[in-house]
Amino acid sequence: MKQPRPMQLVARRFVRERSALAGLAILAAIILAATVGPFFSPYSPIAVDHALLGKPLPPSAHHWLGTDLLGRDELTRALYGARISLLIGFTAMVVAIVVGTLYGAVSGAAGGKVDAVMMRIVDALLSFPTFFLIITVEALTNSFTLVIVVLVIGLLSWMGVARLVRAEVLSLRERDFVEAARALGAGGTRIVFHHLLPNAFVPVVVAATLTIGDNILTEAGLSFLGLGVQVPTPSWGNMLQDALLPSARSALWLVLTPGLLIVITLLALSLVGEGLRVAFDRSIAQEVSTATGVTETIEAA
Amino acid sequence: MSTFVFRRIAGVLPLLFIITLISYAMMGLAPGGPTALMVHEARAVSPAERQHLMALLGLDKPWYVRYFYWLGALVLRGNLGYSYVDNRPVIAKIVEKLPVTIELIGLSLIVTLLVSIPIGVTAARYRNSLFDHVSSLISFAGYGIPVFWLGMLLIDAFALHLRWLPAAGIASLGHEHDPIDNLRHMVLPVVTLSFVSLASWIRYQRGAMLNVLSESYIRTARSKGLAERTVIYRHALRNALMPTITLLGLSLPSLVGGAYFLEYVFSLPGMGYLGINSVFTRDYPTVMGITLLSAILVVFGNLTADIGYALVDPRVRYD
Repeated sequence: MKQPRPMQLVARRFVRERSALAGLAILAAIILAATVGPFFSPYSPIAVDHALLGKPLPPSAHHWLGTDLLGRDELTRALYGARISLLIGFTAMVVAIVVGTLYGAVSGAAGGKVDAVMMRIVDALLSFPTFFLIITVEALTNSFTLVIVVLVIGLLSWMGVARLVRAEVLSLRERDFVEAARALGAGGTRIVFHHLLPNAFVPVVVAATLTIGDNILTEAGLSFLGLGVQVPTPSWGNMLQDALLPSARSALWLVLTPGLLIVITLLALSLVGEGLRVAFDRSIAQEVSTATGVTETIEAA
Repeated sequence: MSTFVFRRIAGVLPLLFIITLISYAMMGLAPGGPTALMVHEARAVSPAERQHLMALLGLDKPWYVRYFYWLGALVLRGNLGYSYVDNRPVIAKIVEKLPVTIELIGLSLIVTLLVSIPIGVTAARYRNSLFDHVSSLISFAGYGIPVFWLGMLLIDAFALHLRWLPAAGIASLGHEHDPIDNLRHMVLPVVTLSFVSLASWIRYQRGAMLNVLSESYIRTARSKGLAERTVIYRHALRNALMPTITLLGLSLPSLVGGAYFLEYVFSLPGMGYLGINSVFTRDYPTVMGITLLSAILVVFGNLTADIGYALVDPRVRYD
């Protein structure tokens, strides 16, 4: 009997998780809306409507989600804002994953004193309240371009990934296939990149999904304090900052729109992450059970 | 046991050392470098004056020498520098704000534990029931709620519309020493902070309970004919609660971060309120002092949790 490849197993299990599929569908819808949505909007996300200044309109047929304090169409801003928020969430995740994976792999593969020192640095960084550390660095650099915001968020959120990858590398290091590769004369770098990291792929993907969500929350918090994406460029975070000004407090739709978008996006991301995790755990369980000839399905447990 | 405690405490020293190094390196990011941290940005300083000042402050020395000067002042005299805003010692400014932050975090931890333990245990006991699904959906949603947004919504609902609770501050005018009035002020921030951390706690508690329920001594207890209630609450819960102590330590950094943010939203005069406002006034010494002290507090929080865990669970050994 032919064994299915591990990734195929994970994919097959994932498709069976209904809530994970729902999460994926929501995510696809939001990404689609963010990419093509703005082309269908007759309004500018930035241009101020002086007739409506300071008098936000409630949702209507013309403005589906109403207008904001400067008379701009809220739906249009939410769509453009989605681009910025998702972009920051995704790119900062890439930064965090790349740094975290390399750091964790080096630490785990090196072992001994190097590993101990490298992990102590991670412990130290994780002792700082992350969000306050990010505000502090943002305030110190005093620069709020998109690149800086992405770098600050990404470079201060890789530590969890590093721990994860190191743990994977440590547990894989002693396995037979790595021993075999070593016996065949493979060097350290080759073992790390060809044998260890590919096997740590799925847990890293799960962490990546959750990191995107964390980053979107961080961006929202930073922009809410005026330390993130700067106006007039809309992001979900600075739209909330506007909505929470005392003069806008009666306009509930301005408070709800960006906030609910964040909540829904993060819910979708964590459903996908959880689905991947479950699919991964179960396919490992099945792999083990077929390997040892155990016929009963562990899935039922 | 005592070796564990001793080695755990010894492990804290290198950690604290690295934390001070990171903080010191961050100060180098401040516009103008560390000299700017010493002179007011508004005042024009001539190059000669700056040279003199740098020599006076030892800034012409290599960075590692300066680091040890700074560390020495910190460790020996508790000197974290002086605030740009009012020239007061940073340490004094922080210490007077500490009680509010500790009250907020402490109350919120109590509420979180009181709510998450029964929910997590029930979800594990009736696994895959409607209750389990609803509670896991709520905990997933809770993970994605921006803490400041939830705080603002609660202020809108309970303070501005219903007028049941105060919206900001820690005491009403003329009631500065009234504990009941103070607690009324803490209700909204504590509820907000607890709700956001509930998500991970419920999932953790459920997982811990499921683990314990699959142990053989639970099967033994059941086969003795004990009532399910007794099995759950007398035999399983005690062991399921132990890992919670570890989570207590692990969740501290995010709890502290959330508390700081909420102090700003609810205008509670704690460390976070001071910290975020110091960010706005570019009072870098105060900001750095709070960053450093928060990390140190988290390290000691973790240490306490670990030692507590070792005390209640005799199986814990160092490595």
